[in-house]
Amino acid sequence: MVVRDTKVKLKIDGIEVEADPGQNVLQAALDAGLYIPYLCYYPGMKSFGACRMCLVKVEQPGPDGVMKPLPGAPASCTTPVAEGMVVTTNLKETKDLRKGIMELLISEHPHGCLTCHRIDLCGPSDICLRHVSVNDRCVTCPKNERCELKDTVRYMEMDLDTPLTYNNRNLPLEVKDPLWDMDMNLCIVCGRCVRICSEIRGDNALTFISRSGRSLIGTSNGGSLLESGCEFCGACIDVCPTGALVEKDFKWDKPSKIVKSICPHCPVGCELKMEIDKKNRLIRSVGNLEGPANKGQLCFRGKFGLNFVNDNNRITKPLIRVNGELVETTFKNAISVVANNLNKYSGKEFAALISPTATNEDAYVLQKFTRLIMGSNNIDVSSNVVPEITDEIFRMTGIPGSSSSIWDLEHSKSIMIVSSNLTEKQNVLGVPIKKAIDNGAKLVVIDQRETELTRFAAKWLKPKYGTELHLIAGMIKVILDEVLDDHDFIEQYTLGIQDLKKSLWSFDIINVSNISGVSVEDIREAARIIGNDSPAGILYALELLPSQLRAECTKALVNLALVTGSLGRDSGGIFPLFDGANEQGIKDVGCSNTFLPGYRLISDNSSINYFQDVWGSNLNNSSGIPLGQFNREVFSGQIKALMTIGENATLINGNDSEFKESIAKLDFFVTTDYSNNEITSLADVIFPAAVFSEKSGTFTNIEKRIQFIRPGMTSKDEVSEDWYTLIQIAKAMGSSKFEYKSSEEIFSDISNEVSMYSDISYDLLDKEGIVWTPNSWSELFSDKKSENSTNNQDILLKFDPINFTDDIEVITSKEFPYLLVQGRVLFDEELSNVKLENGRYKSQTNPVFDLHPEDASKLGIVEGQTIEVISQENKIQGIVGLKSTQPGVVSHKSMFGDLINQLQISKNFQVSKNTDLNLVPISIKKL
Amino acid sequence: MSEQKIKDEINKILSSPTDGTVTVLSCLLLVQDEIGYIPDEAVEEIASFLKTSINEVWGVATFYTNFRFTPPCKNILEVCWGPTCHLKGAPDLISGFLDKLNLEEEGDSKDKDVSVRYNTCLGACQQAPVISINHSLRGNVKVSEISNIIDFVAD
Repeated sequence: MVVRDTKVKLKIDGIEVEADPGQNVLQAALDAGLYIPYLCYYPGMKSFGACRMCLVKVEQPGPDGVMKPLPGAPASCTTPVAEGMVVTTNLKETKDLRKGIMELLISEHPHGCLTCHRIDLCGPSDICLRHVSVNDRCVTCPKNERCELKDTVRYMEMDLDTPLTYNNRNLPLEVKDPLWDMDMNLCIVCGRCVRICSEIRGDNALTFISRSGRSLIGTSNGGSLLESGCEFCGACIDVCPTGALVEKDFKWDKPSKIVKSICPHCPVGCELKMEIDKKNRLIRSVGNLEGPANKGQLCFRGKFGLNFVNDNNRITKPLIRVNGELVETTFKNAISVVANNLNKYSGKEFAALISPTATNEDAYVLQKFTRLIMGSNNIDVSSNVVPEITDEIFRMTGIPGSSSSIWDLEHSKSIMIVSSNLTEKQNVLGVPIKKAIDNGAKLVVIDQRETELTRFAAKWLKPKYGTELHLIAGMIKVILDEVLDDHDFIEQYTLGIQDLKKSLWSFDIINVSNISGVSVEDIREAARIIGNDSPAGILYALELLPSQLRAECTKALVNLALVTGSLGRDSGGIFPLFDGANEQGIKDVGCSNTFLPGYRLISDNSSINYFQDVWGSNLNNSSGIPLGQFNREVFSGQIKALMTIGENATLINGNDSEFKESIAKLDFFVTTDYSNNEITSLADVIFPAAVFSEKSGTFTNIEKRIQFIRPGMTSKDEVSEDWYTLIQIAKAMGSSKFEYKSSEEIFSDISNEVSMYSDISYDLLDKEGIVWTPNSWSELFSDKKSENSTNNQDILLKFDPINFTDDIEVITSKEFPYLLVQGRVLFDEELSNVKLENGRYKSQTNPVFDLHPEDASKLGIVEGQTIEVISQENKIQGIVGLKSTQPGVVSHKSMFGDLINQLQISKNFQVSKNTDLNLVPISIKKL
Repeated sequence: MSEQKIKDEINKILSSPTDGTVTVLSCLLLVQDEIGYIPDEAVEEIASFLKTSINEVWGVATFYTNFRFTPPCKNILEVCWGPTCHLKGAPDLISGFLDKLNLEEEGDSKDKDVSVRYNTCLGACQQAPVISINHSLRGNVKVSEISNIIDFVAD
């Protein structure tokens, strides 16, 4: 954050207003709670000055100090504030000007909703009879009663008794795109949608077509949005002031209440406004402009993928297995069945898994239950399948997750993305990244596949499978050799640079180039980008890496961040990209096999003693089984009873089929879930679980921001929040340590026991989410360091020499000799074969499998030939292309829209489970 | 022309040396000058040539009414409707040409022989009313000549 301490003082309608320099008059007025009508301006976007609704009269002191009026009536959205300015917004003269322009505007917009004499007489469900012709009726507009244009016109108190001659454009309704409808007869060409798409989202999927009176919004040559590079985030719908762009689902429904909450789909933690109707359905979600993590942006999952909460097939009553069949029962009975069964097991025999969409409160109660009552440390969050990517950062820097805030990325000078398809998995992270690139930051992508962001890359490095570690180490070597490192930072905040240098002493860039297949020049250039333009934002998921390399690779990336001084600054930072929405928070409150709440090690006696004191009972002090070994321990009979909490808490990214097999082996399996799925069908007891829109509690997002989720919908029947179910079980098992009446009481326990959450309360969170920083960091990066802390080596950030292993697991075999790499892009000419089917756009693409020319000639395959690609589980036919980046790698690209098709098909929560884009060993058959 | 051929052609045009700033507009002009219209492929090629989106290119192309998106006819007839020509009888000429070619508006004749376009000023006001046939000017045009002109052009 840039701190501006000088404020500009000006007067708006006689009221003294303070504004930041560089702000415009309209912003200053709105911030001060004064309204000036506007249509094309939108908070967060650059001013456009198109609609001329915000005209004002301005007087400004000249160089000689004498007040001078600005000529004409300037638009307040394009007039910067100045000291001593006097603005008048409500002169009759300017009002008349606005009215005149508005008359012209609505001369092309149906305005029965404005001129009808019954506007204030009609009740919400009155049937319109004959006052207005059918096409112009207020009830035939999807934005009826929530239209910004109508509100603006009515605010301006226009005299519309005499109907204006109104020219209906008579354009057909566009209903071909899958998620929304476009009615160009209602468009006022304010350009908000075009601008948000290019300025904020960086996609340019919409444009102004033609000019002057005929100008409208559309895509190139009237093509589908699939072809135009749309990422289906719905931002254009959110900003549309009229009914021109609306969601297809619940198009005509009106909310009875609007509740702020957090999207449960990924760890970005976008704040959204849930619109709930009278029938207790979530009909719409709109990004909240004040949301600190997303600043009003959502992605296709947050905008269109929340319909699962309205599912008619939700589980609403507890079910227990009687004679092999699941039957409905009472909540009380189900609790006693679970209590009786769980009493039989203790210690290592019990394990618990929690879904990443559970709240911190659910997670805290579950780990307390598991540790206190079951005496087990076998507990984990189900999405935590690559723990290395955060564990290593924690070990080296003392921060268990991302080092910076999401919007710090916006100011980064350079950005590096390693093996991650983030615009699909953590979409909104792409918004600040694209903005940074727009502001001149350079992007380095290390990935074998083409993803959405590779088109923005200044350098796209495509190392061979399993050589990423060498490549990153090579970049560090170049930075050290060319003295591009941040010497002051290293001196002041870190420990062990010599060890790192020693480990890279004999390291040879030419050798790295030979191993990775990336040219020496490319490695040097990429290193120079990150070295010169620091602080750098480093984001990684390491999806395509061999599992044994991930820990070392994370180490290398942390070393890179330390060398370039990218940590603890107000830009840049390191971001491990995990998948689970609340994975961060769930780990914070102790759902981990090795950590107690607040990242206190189980193996540490003082931590165990602390919690034994607080909880008043003995605790098991041996670490639990890591998530990756759950299946094996079930098969070996070690784990006998399992509890899963939250929807579909299976191993995301893990081997599902094996997990299902292992569940069948269990003696007792209890789960809470909102709908039936393959896992619940194996359960002995199922409790109906509340979904995010029915819960109250907190989520902690990827930037460690604790945010409030609020209940908007009421739960049906016996649906209850997971923590409630858990404390009922705990009570039935005779414990008195679970006397919680609300999630707030649980949170107050969390803030007492988890040091990072101390001093945080629901009251504070209600205003805005709070980012926590570990104490060691606050101490290390504080301006006023105490004498002790400079000597305190514990809090310094530690370099860790990289160990190279040649022992890379070869996942290809004789049977499956090639690696299939999948990528997704927004727009690709070759893929954009979009056809109309029943009046809807569908992308009809034969999959193209790109082979390396060498492989193709070896196999005797030519471009355009049809081949069959065979993996262990699947067979797909496709057409051969020759654009693979490396021999041995077959790359497959699909358009972003393919996922949208899936989204349409899936009735359930499929959307939340990220489709894997990992490496698959395959063989190729000629057809 | 096949799609690939058009693409190659366009790439050749785009990569030919030009003076001054290369913009979406300059690329569109180059293509239109060379092949007479902006084919679909050109929008895509220009977008990838300038690393921008197809929508951006399309927005610029549709803004200027001089760009056309279908192949032009064999002959281009421009009728000036600037103020001088207007006073000297351009409206009659226009309606005469349109009647002769069975057109309602400026556009292409059905047999694809003649494209009629209005021009704001052909720059030869002293000879008004002026028309241009395949970019060569002809002044002092009389309504009685319309038939001959069309027959001559269509041959």
